[in-house]
Amino acid sequence: MRLFRQFIFRQLLNERLRSATTIAGIALGIAVVIAIQLTNASSVRGFEAAIEAVSGKTSLEITGAGLGLDEMQLNQLGWLRQYGFVSPLIEGDAQVRFADYKKETLRILGVDILRDRALRDYKLQAEAQQQFKPTEFLALIADPHSIILTEKFANAHALQVGSQCEIIFGDKAEKITVRGLLKNEGAARALDGNFALMDIAAAQWAFNRLGRIDRVDVRLRDTVNIDEAEKIIRQKLPQGLHVQRPARRGRQVEKMLAAFHFNLTALSYIALLVGLFLIYNTVSISVITRREEIGTLRALGVTRKNILGLFAAEAAALSLPGCALGLALGRLLSFGAIKLTATTVNSLYIAVAAAPPSLSLQHVLIAFGIGLPLSLLAATMPALEASRVSPTAAMRSNDRLESRFRLHKISFIAPLIFLALAWVLAQLKPVGSLPLFGYAAALFIVVGAALIVPVVLFVLTRMSKKLLTRIFKIEGQLANANLAGAIPRLSISVAALAISLSMMVAIAVMIGSFRTTVDYWIGQTLQADLYLRPATRANITVDASVSPEVQSIIARHPAVAAIDRFRNFDLPYEDSLITLGAGDFEVLLNYGHLQFKQPRNNEQARAAMRAAIGTNNVLVSESFAIKRNKNIGDEVKLNTPKGEASFRVTGIYYDYSSDRGIVVLDRGTFAKYWGEQLPTSLTIYLREGASHDQTRTEILTALGDKYQVLIYTNAALRQEVLRIFDSTFAITYGLEVIAIFVAILGVASTLLTLILERSKEIAMLRLIGTDKKQIRKMVVIEAALIGGVSQSIGLVVGILLSLVLIYVINVQSFGWTIQFHLPVLFLVQSSILILLATALSGIYPAARAAKLSATEQVAEE
Amino acid sequence: MGSQKSEGGSRNKNRRLGLIVLGCMLACSLSLVLAENAWKQALPGYQFDFRRDHASHPDYKIEWWYYTGNLAAKDGHRFGYQLTFFRVGVDKQPQNPSRWAVRDLFMAHLAVTDIDGKKFKYAEKLNRAGIGWAGAETNVYRVWNEDWEAKQDDQQRTLLNAYDENFGIEFALEPGKTPIIHGVNGVSQKGAQPGNASHYYSQTRMPTRGAITIDGQRFEVSGDSWMDHEFGTSFLEKEQKGWDWLALQLDDGTDLMLYQFRRQDGSLDTHTSGTIIDATRKAEKIAATDFVLEPGNKWRSPNTDAAYPTQWKVKIPSHNLDLEINATLENQELITNGSTGVSYWEGAIVVSGKNNNRTVKGRGYLEMTGYAGAAMGAVFE
Repeated sequence: MRLFRQFIFRQLLNERLRSATTIAGIALGIAVVIAIQLTNASSVRGFEAAIEAVSGKTSLEITGAGLGLDEMQLNQLGWLRQYGFVSPLIEGDAQVRFADYKKETLRILGVDILRDRALRDYKLQAEAQQQFKPTEFLALIADPHSIILTEKFANAHALQVGSQCEIIFGDKAEKITVRGLLKNEGAARALDGNFALMDIAAAQWAFNRLGRIDRVDVRLRDTVNIDEAEKIIRQKLPQGLHVQRPARRGRQVEKMLAAFHFNLTALSYIALLVGLFLIYNTVSISVITRREEIGTLRALGVTRKNILGLFAAEAAALSLPGCALGLALGRLLSFGAIKLTATTVNSLYIAVAAAPPSLSLQHVLIAFGIGLPLSLLAATMPALEASRVSPTAAMRSNDRLESRFRLHKISFIAPLIFLALAWVLAQLKPVGSLPLFGYAAALFIVVGAALIVPVVLFVLTRMSKKLLTRIFKIEGQLANANLAGAIPRLSISVAALAISLSMMVAIAVMIGSFRTTVDYWIGQTLQADLYLRPATRANITVDASVSPEVQSIIARHPAVAAIDRFRNFDLPYEDSLITLGAGDFEVLLNYGHLQFKQPRNNEQARAAMRAAIGTNNVLVSESFAIKRNKNIGDEVKLNTPKGEASFRVTGIYYDYSSDRGIVVLDRGTFAKYWGEQLPTSLTIYLREGASHDQTRTEILTALGDKYQVLIYTNAALRQEVLRIFDSTFAITYGLEVIAIFVAILGVASTLLTLILERSKEIAMLRLIGTDKKQIRKMVVIEAALIGGVSQSIGLVVGILLSLVLIYVINVQSFGWTIQFHLPVLFLVQSSILILLATALSGIYPAARAAKLSATEQVAEE
Repeated sequence: MGSQKSEGGSRNKNRRLGLIVLGCMLACSLSLVLAENAWKQALPGYQFDFRRDHASHPDYKIEWWYYTGNLAAKDGHRFGYQLTFFRVGVDKQPQNPSRWAVRDLFMAHLAVTDIDGKKFKYAEKLNRAGIGWAGAETNVYRVWNEDWEAKQDDQQRTLLNAYDENFGIEFALEPGKTPIIHGVNGVSQKGAQPGNASHYYSQTRMPTRGAITIDGQRFEVSGDSWMDHEFGTSFLEKEQKGWDWLALQLDDGTDLMLYQFRRQDGSLDTHTSGTIIDATRKAEKIAATDFVLEPGNKWRSPNTDAAYPTQWKVKIPSHNLDLEINATLENQELITNGSTGVSYWEGAIVVSGKNNNRTVKGRGYLEMTGYAGAAMGAVFE
């Protein structure tokens, strides 16, 4: 312990800057991992917390086939009473529109309060003294234009009992009076207070769901065993109805988000990887610079094991504060990350207020359980090397670690083996829907690339000597010589930077390719002139429908040639959720265009669609086909209100709007199973020559203030799709920037070490007449060279990685075909930036080098 | 509910005042927020037609069907029961087309007294009609609340069926004596205002057979039931604190209904009255001044702390009637927070005494309200 304090700890204190950068690197790496963990948890947790708060004492819920159930089916469920309390309900999202036109989403629960209080606690502000009788509570909300808000929401928006507010249900704006306020208990805690209570009748009417019930909640009697009850109820339920525990909805959403979350997690580990390179770097340097001292210690009788332990302790000493800092920083970062991912989660998956992140023991375990062992592992190689220093060898003055790099066969073969293994891994099938082997392949490419760095550096320094001398004169020549003389040490930093950069390149190439593909797809698929959806429909999972009044106003407009009324909703499929859509295939055939993957031939595809009109033939999206392993001619079994029904896949079309998997039926077929349902969006085709913008304005005017819809013109929707696309990848870039920042830290710290180590050489240079400016220039050139080499390697490796991302990882996790496309401009720009950034990172080491006093150093010699 | 104003002259009194008042309370509280639609008023000249009048009259705001009875198993094991269905109109024509829109509220109370087993069990239900979880049909007699039901079969029998978790009843009731129509000219006048009245009749002795289940044990039983059906609109006055009501079936064939209002100041209300039906079905009104109801020992409820007299003396000098009444079980209190929100005592009683100097015995039901909590009239206000 004393040895550690004197030998390692003092050193760490003396080398404050290097220690600090290393700790910062680890901290950032851990922070990113933790931030992503928290972010991923928050979206699912937010959803689950809402379910939990809203479900109250519900033990089981009865649901229909995606669209709730026909309320008359409740008459077949009278027997449920013997198991406990039964409460049918309507649940939906609506928006409150304030005087300043700001909107806020409310989760509305429509219940029969006479029954529902057995399942959920509602504590009204007015009930401070005594609980309301059921009829008194009902009297509050029996009027169809009544609502009960939460105290929290009312306070935040200056509302009180008696206030009137405008609420948009689907596409209808209604004037609703606040009849009561809920205290922050029970269901009122859901969604941070954005919860409201209505009477079931009022909610049905407002949400255009007359005749329908979203689900039936059941609270079992205390004497009933839930497992047995669930089993018996499942057997007794009529066809088309299902029983499940409320938590299952949370798990379905978790499953649905799994691929998205997995990829974020994988990405977050890149930053950690770079941080680990820093540990390796620091411990290596520490071993390299102190061989003589190690030799002395060995000569004094310190064992090899002790030496190994000392350096392992150094790694731990750097890693522990790093992990602790990372934990705290991770929580801070997660606020930003949640904001960045919320858009994606909300626009593509579920509309939910993300829960605020909170650190738990699990995260502490992740931080230290991953950070510490990996840091130790990273330090193993240099520490082993230190333990191998023989006492006599070290005692010999100037015995330095091999600083000249020599080419061995193994230097070439090892990287090639890794790349070959990567190729093999890339061919393997996913595990579940998670592309584990794809990520393993990426990891192997990274390792292969890291191993090949010394070779590249060797070849480059050989080849670039003349060029550098010609451009930068003597400073260039010196820089080149310096680099060539420090290849083993530099390799680590270069590898770290190169790998971070390759990730960025890979992601940029992937996103660039994806964006080009989506852009092309939009061009092919978005053929209609106007698109309409209810104002409250933030994403496809919000069940908001287009009122019959709105439909008829649009149909009456003289410029409208055809309307495709599209209905979609979430349908449980296997253990997750898919989107079931119903469109008017006749209109789609005549006016629209789907881009088919299969059948490829356009005429055949049209024939397949025509044959699907009114039949059990369905079209499925590419991601459904890939993730569920379905091909043309395969059978798809779906839960319908008439029980499980079998459908045949006759077409697979490209779709990049969602990775959940979409099954599309013709409206006629849909109606046979689900009955006539209001559409959730309209696709409107105009007559030749009609102006999109003008028609849009005219329709909006005709709809007036009563109906709140969003109408996109073709051009606006294209923009909107790309906007969502770009926001989806914002987090990706955020993570990358952090990884690169960490890597550049590494470069600066390596340079600094090299300079300190070479201080005698630099002093000699100064003695023989080199001025400070030249020294500075030399160091900055070195830094820029490192950046340049790293970026070059990064480009090559990055493109390799992007192939894995595009053709393996993306296909396996999302089921999308992406056409490869190089975003040349972005790559050129970022290369220049990296060169500049690394050159800048050389400024501080350069200043230190220039400050070195020549006489002092030489005198010492 | 109302009580009847003295100047109205009619002395006919309704029974089951309790639920009427409760109904009013509901109707009123809901009326505060709902546009008042015109409910039909009970006006003189109403012609009862028992081919349809057992069924529901949804044009009127309040309606109830009320069964009580004393029964025994073959081995003599005695039981009492009460089954009440109640409809309160809330909004005659709801604006909302949803089936769940509240036009009426339906309540039901079920109580079984196992006299010899010394058990009293009760349950309650409160529902809107919704998709038909509760309701009352208009063309045939059928009224139900979830799986509790009263209906007439094709042999003019009334079938009662109501089970809670641990107890229940399943009866067939013969019509027995012809219905007694209360009041004058088809209306039971309650106030000075025309229309502040109800249409009201009773079937006072219905031979009953069936089964009672209590704590898993099933008893085949038989005996007599008493049924009331009333529809209309009526209101209680706020000074009226509560009432004591009696329905007696004597073994000489006489049936007797009596009730008295207790006012806030402790005095008796002048609207107190009753009806006596002799063995030949001759019905006669009994005025407040004609009888005396005298409370005896009191039982204090451990749940509501209310003190209910469970012994009474009844004296009707004009008919030379002198009876003593005893509760079969002290605790027959219903606490109905889940439906009407009012606590009251309603239970099986035994009667003994003298009718025209002849010793008589009998059975019946006693209802006492206003002993627990606020005054009925004040709650209604």
